[in-house]
Amino acid sequence: MYRTATKRLLLLRAPSGSNINIKARLRFPFLLPPHNQNIDNNTCRFSSTSEIPQSSPNQNHSDPTSTSTAEEARPQETQRKRRFVEYQDEQARVLQASLPLVVRLGWTEAAMIAGAREVGVSPSIIGSFPRKEAALVEFFMDDCLQRLIDRIDSEEDLKSMIPSDHISKLIRFRLEMQAPYISKWPQALSIQAQPLNVPTSFKQRAMLVDEIWHAVGDEASDIDWYVKRTVLGGIYSTTEIYMLTDSSPDFRDTWSFLNGRVKDAFDLKKTIQEAQYLAEAVGAGMGSSLQGFVKRAFRG
Amino acid sequence: MALRMATRRLGSKLLPRFSSTSVLHSHATSFGFKEIPEEEKSRMVGNVFSNVASNYDLMNDLMSAGLHRLWKDRLVSKLNPFPGMKHLDVAGGTGDVAFRILETLNSVKSRATQDVLDDNLHEETQIFVCDINPKMLNVGQKRALERGLGEDKSLIWVEGDAEALNYKDNSMDGYTIAFGIRNVTHIEKVLAEAYRVLKRGGRFLCLELSHVEVPVFKELYDYYSFSIIPAVGEAVAGDRDSYRYLVESIRRFPSQETFASMIAAAGFQKVEYENLVGGVVAIHSGLKI
Repeated sequence: MYRTATKRLLLLRAPSGSNINIKARLRFPFLLPPHNQNIDNNTCRFSSTSEIPQSSPNQNHSDPTSTSTAEEARPQETQRKRRFVEYQDEQARVLQASLPLVVRLGWTEAAMIAGAREVGVSPSIIGSFPRKEAALVEFFMDDCLQRLIDRIDSEEDLKSMIPSDHISKLIRFRLEMQAPYISKWPQALSIQAQPLNVPTSFKQRAMLVDEIWHAVGDEASDIDWYVKRTVLGGIYSTTEIYMLTDSSPDFRDTWSFLNGRVKDAFDLKKTIQEAQYLAEAVGAGMGSSLQGFVKRAFRG
Repeated sequence: MALRMATRRLGSKLLPRFSSTSVLHSHATSFGFKEIPEEEKSRMVGNVFSNVASNYDLMNDLMSAGLHRLWKDRLVSKLNPFPGMKHLDVAGGTGDVAFRILETLNSVKSRATQDVLDDNLHEETQIFVCDINPKMLNVGQKRALERGLGEDKSLIWVEGDAEALNYKDNSMDGYTIAFGIRNVTHIEKVLAEAYRVLKRGGRFLCLELSHVEVPVFKELYDYYSFSIIPAVGEAVAGDRDSYRYLVESIRRFPSQETFASMIAAAGFQKVEYENLVGGVVAIHSGLKI
């Protein structure tokens, strides 16, 4: 939800044609460079890493300490931003080129090396990616989400569907995107499940589920919000696993499995709601009889 | 240039303190805590390393309590070598970094990924070990023979100056310099050369003794480096001055932040550094786009 919100906000502000930049910024929101040049990191720790803001390459080489005088601070900052995006673009290009090779080479460094060679960048760049193979899987997940959002935005007839059909349709769209990689998908899942990568993969799945609920037009913000997302997350993941061993043509079994689970969930929701109504009714009845009892007790 | 020549001539004729004015603009032109004319530095550093070459490994182990091996391992794991890479290891005469890169590549080779990568890629791997000091290179070549790597075609030993590399533009995938950049006369020139020879996407990595800022640890470290290291140097290698130079040159080297901004100024992107052991050493890295 916040993702689409940010996207729309950015789209409103930015002129058309700067889509790629937005994408890059969305993709790595946590990596944006600090606005302050004097970052005070490197405090009392025995091992610390820090990122240094970029400065222009053409400045006076003889005195590196004078890079941040007040007059030149502004143009330098814009330049730094531009170059930062440049670097992200380069990483995205390498990963994009690696994806078609995944089918043959798996979610491996080998695929990334070959991908980098294809776009004419030294494979050395892979060493600078955080968490190597995970970068590739995460890139793919983000890419798929972006494609799903685009599809949600472009297909108008989806909106007229009933919620349960709508949800299974969207999950199907999303899972169909990883169909070409199905033989290597278990490997991707195992990469996502590595302790270091869990936070990001969890976040990406949460975003996906959120996006689907948002598309269906859910605006709930109470406890229901968590229930709905947990249930949908469960359905998505079980279908994803089911798909791995599905050998029917065009994953027909998977889609009927998916429809079944979504239907179950909606039935369950109805059952819960009915039980809730029943409980309310019973409660109301009990309440009135209790009230009557209290009244009588006080009177007598 | 003419001005510098003039001051230099003046300096040598008149007072020694004039010579220090000629080097005011470059903090690199120091020999330990002494200010020396630029032209002298490479010769004096050369002497130091010729003196210590034979005991270099033993002293490294003694001074860092064996930790320098781990630091170099960390450097290579950050580099993430890949089969078929062209790598330049500057100031790596003893081959420490080069051997590690080869070992990593050989273990990559034996992994399952091997059958998907062409075998001839491994043939293309080239690791250039470049050092200005032939004695250090001799040590490395001897060790290569001991390790059975003497016949390895991917190891190439070159005598060369980091400030004027003998390689084409955009020809290298990786560039490492371990415990070397401290000893050069012009750090900026070395960085510019590194940037020049690297390909797009190529990475620059520098392992260097750096500055400790952790309060109590800093005092301990200072005591250790100014009192113990020269004494050990005298006892084991019989050369107190060389090791005093070593310690002093560490203190003269720019801080992590400054050095990182110098790397960025040379044109590198995604400049990062990692402090190890509280800053006793730091690994700086940059990416050429």
